[in-house]
Amino acid sequence: MIELKGVSRRFGEVLAVNAISLVVETGEVCVLVGSSGCGKSTTLRMINRLLPSTAGEILVDGKNVCDTDLQTLRLNMGYVIQGTGLFPHWTVARNIGLVPGLLKWPEARIRERVDELLQLLGLDQEGFVDKYPHQLSGGQAQRVGVARALAADPNILLMDEPFGALDAITRETLQNEMLRIKQQLGKTTVFVTHDIDEALRLADRIAVMDQGRLIQYDAPEAILRRPASLFVETLVGSQDRGLKMTGLQRVGDAMQRHLHPRPRDLDKPGVREHETLRQALSLMLWQGTESLPVMDEDGAEIGIISRAQIWAGGH
Amino acid sequence: MFSSPNRVIVVLGALTLTLAWVLDFGVIQPNRIVAGTGYGLGEALGLVASVTFSVGMVMILGLGAVASRFRYSLLTAGLLLLLLVLPWGLALFAERQLPGSSTYARTAMGAGFWCLLFLPALMLGECLQRLRAGRGLALILLALVLTSWTLAVTSGDIDSLSILKEYAARPDQFRAALSDHLALALSAVAISLVLAFVLALMMVRRVSWRRPVFGVVSFLQTVPSLALFGLLIAPLSALSATFPLLQQLGIQGIGWAPALLALIAYSLLPMVRNTFVALTDVPPTLLEAGEGMGMNARQLFFRVKLPLAMPVILEGIRVTIIQAIGLTAVAALIGAGGFGTFIFQGLGQAAMDLVLLGALPTVLLALVADAVLSALASTMRSAP
Amino acid sequence: MAIWRAPLTWLVILLASAGLMPDLMPVLFPGQASLVYQRDSFLWLLQHHVMLVAASASVGTLLAIAGGIMVTRPWGRDFLPLVSQIASIGQTVPPVAVLALAVPVLGFGDGPTVMALLLYGLLPVLRNTLAGLDSIPAAVTEAARGMGMSSAQVLIKTELPLAGRVILAGIRTSVTINIATAAIGSTIGARTLGDPVIAGLVNGNTAYVLEGAVLIGLLAITTDSLFEALERFWARRFSATPGTV
Repeated sequence: MIELKGVSRRFGEVLAVNAISLVVETGEVCVLVGSSGCGKSTTLRMINRLLPSTAGEILVDGKNVCDTDLQTLRLNMGYVIQGTGLFPHWTVARNIGLVPGLLKWPEARIRERVDELLQLLGLDQEGFVDKYPHQLSGGQAQRVGVARALAADPNILLMDEPFGALDAITRETLQNEMLRIKQQLGKTTVFVTHDIDEALRLADRIAVMDQGRLIQYDAPEAILRRPASLFVETLVGSQDRGLKMTGLQRVGDAMQRHLHPRPRDLDKPGVREHETLRQALSLMLWQGTESLPVMDEDGAEIGIISRAQIWAGGH
Repeated sequence: MFSSPNRVIVVLGALTLTLAWVLDFGVIQPNRIVAGTGYGLGEALGLVASVTFSVGMVMILGLGAVASRFRYSLLTAGLLLLLLVLPWGLALFAERQLPGSSTYARTAMGAGFWCLLFLPALMLGECLQRLRAGRGLALILLALVLTSWTLAVTSGDIDSLSILKEYAARPDQFRAALSDHLALALSAVAISLVLAFVLALMMVRRVSWRRPVFGVVSFLQTVPSLALFGLLIAPLSALSATFPLLQQLGIQGIGWAPALLALIAYSLLPMVRNTFVALTDVPPTLLEAGEGMGMNARQLFFRVKLPLAMPVILEGIRVTIIQAIGLTAVAALIGAGGFGTFIFQGLGQAAMDLVLLGALPTVLLALVADAVLSALASTMRSAP
Repeated sequence: MAIWRAPLTWLVILLASAGLMPDLMPVLFPGQASLVYQRDSFLWLLQHHVMLVAASASVGTLLAIAGGIMVTRPWGRDFLPLVSQIASIGQTVPPVAVLALAVPVLGFGDGPTVMALLLYGLLPVLRNTLAGLDSIPAAVTEAARGMGMSSAQVLIKTELPLAGRVILAGIRTSVTINIATAAIGSTIGARTLGDPVIAGLVNGNTAYVLEGAVLIGLLAITTDSLFEALERFWARRFSATPGTV
């Protein structure tokens, strides 16, 4: 659990972060979102004390970060930044093994852990561990960055616009990866982004920041339904709020389930349970149908989703 | 404006104050060979002047401890004043301590004096940077200080200064040395500029030229100057002995000919490197744009490539001139003239003032060349 | 190790030339008197020359790297503009002038020569140390600190290896200049390979000049090829792009 109590940071005359208080529960993903210069990165960097706070206190699992030894504190927090910050003179394996190495794990255990992480991130190709960062694509490098942060199994993950520099397709793939890792590992995560869609997608709770202040701290749905101010409303885009809402909900939660799975009519397009209502809606629009069959992993039809059900969920 | 202590000013200021009192401000020498007696700040300048200086320096320290924009302006003014009165401090020293009886007696600048010149100059640089002053203000301040020095020298009040005495003994030689030094360095740079330009153009056109040309010019740069000067003596004297025409032209084993050859050899590397990089580093998008708008190869070269390459080529000229000025001083060893003559004569006679008469103008020439060409390059860079 | 072949070859040529010069010259120029510089053996002069340069370069390099590191730490950063300005303006001053100016302050001999070489040789190393440390992407050091490396670990494991090649290039420049300047140091009483050249110039003995000049040139080339090999070795060991230079 991470608690911020009235935390402020001053740069000269400028108050970059102004008395922010929020709590990130254990296992939760908290996304700090806002335009550049709103103080979101500064807030993140105060948690691992890359920047000292000017006022207020930050507690990690009830303990003030200022009372914790700096190295111990950081070694227990995975840190991922934009542009990866991979060491260009080290191989992938050495980069990932950085923190375990600092913690003086035995060589064999580090090697084992590196393989494990590469598998987790889908990077387990032959010879990949011996590559240098400049030989990787943007997406691969960022995955290695995530693997490095996870290496010593830290309790907390801090991510500062990790996918900011990637193209749209790679970004989406990595977001999916994040969701999977979140389900698998359940790390307490603080994630900084300026992209509200990314925030809506990844967050358990979103903290909207503007000019150093915390404007609203709430679940994604609540941010969409009840924006606390005009600023939040503009940020989430009042025009396509409804569509964004459908993007938060799963087909499985809104569909009508059959009592028994039925064999599927192969000509009819369908959606899957874990897909969002937004994807279902898009398919309906495209196909010009009122309803779609829902399939399980084996392709059997387990239920049906109709326009009315999406409408009901969207409110 | 937010104020905080400027540690650079405080440290340098404290150092200046300490060294000014610990080291000798000036030295009185009975003649040009015998070592003189040093005088500390108090003895050299008297109570009033030395106390005034110290109080001023303490104030500068105080201003540095709580620096703000306004205080940086004050600091700049204070430090400028110090540099302006410095030569008159020498005049005061001569008036107080120089025995009137001996015509051979002379004054010399002590280590303390040099500290008083360099450390405040560094502090001034720091202030100008904090004020975000441009090159213009720096040049104006430099001109003011130089004017003050010139006035002090022409007033006759510091004629007793050893280096000026050495100058007074050989004004014609000095002028000859200056013109020799400049002629040798500048002609070497000019010739190598032309050569390098041709080489660079060939290297741009033919990839196969690149490696061997770079290989040869970097190899030449590695050979120490004394060795290259020495190695040229034998073949040149042989040539000159074989062909009387060369001898009539003044080409011999020693003198300006081997010096010029060696200087050109040394100048090639920086010149070729910069010119080549400048010509190849023009962004291809610009060339495409020019081509797309219908420029022919000639227009592209003269209207796009060359103007864009100019600042980098100028940087090459700057490096080369500075290097050539230094190496020309060494060339005096093989009889090429220039300020090196005074340096090596002085070293031979153990006459340090003569060494200074050679070394200081060499340094000054290099600094002036650096300042002028940097200014030129920066105006060219900012020009549209 | 193929990369060491060139410097080794040059070293052998250098040592052989220094050792065999007295026997070689009469063969090359038969029938001429006083062909060989006699005051000291060439091997001794070579050894002394190398020692002067090595002493000044090692101390100067250590000082310069230490200084470069200090002014790039948070507590020394105030001094960075000043120090980098000194490093670049200092290199404008010709080395021979530094040598000459050392005499009034320190006198004649090996000591003042070493001091002048040290002071002047400091500057290229300092400048390259600053440039090398400055060229490291901020993300790398930021990530290093964020992952829990101590400042010392950040410096030793990331900053120095990444800046290493640029620093090494600075040392190479510095040593090249120092070998040349040490030769001129003969004029202020240092015992180096410049001695035969100066003696030859003074007495009009071209043979002396030639002997000294050849050996100085060989020493410079040997040292330069040694640095070339070192840079390759460093690239192979620490760089992100193994094998390329």
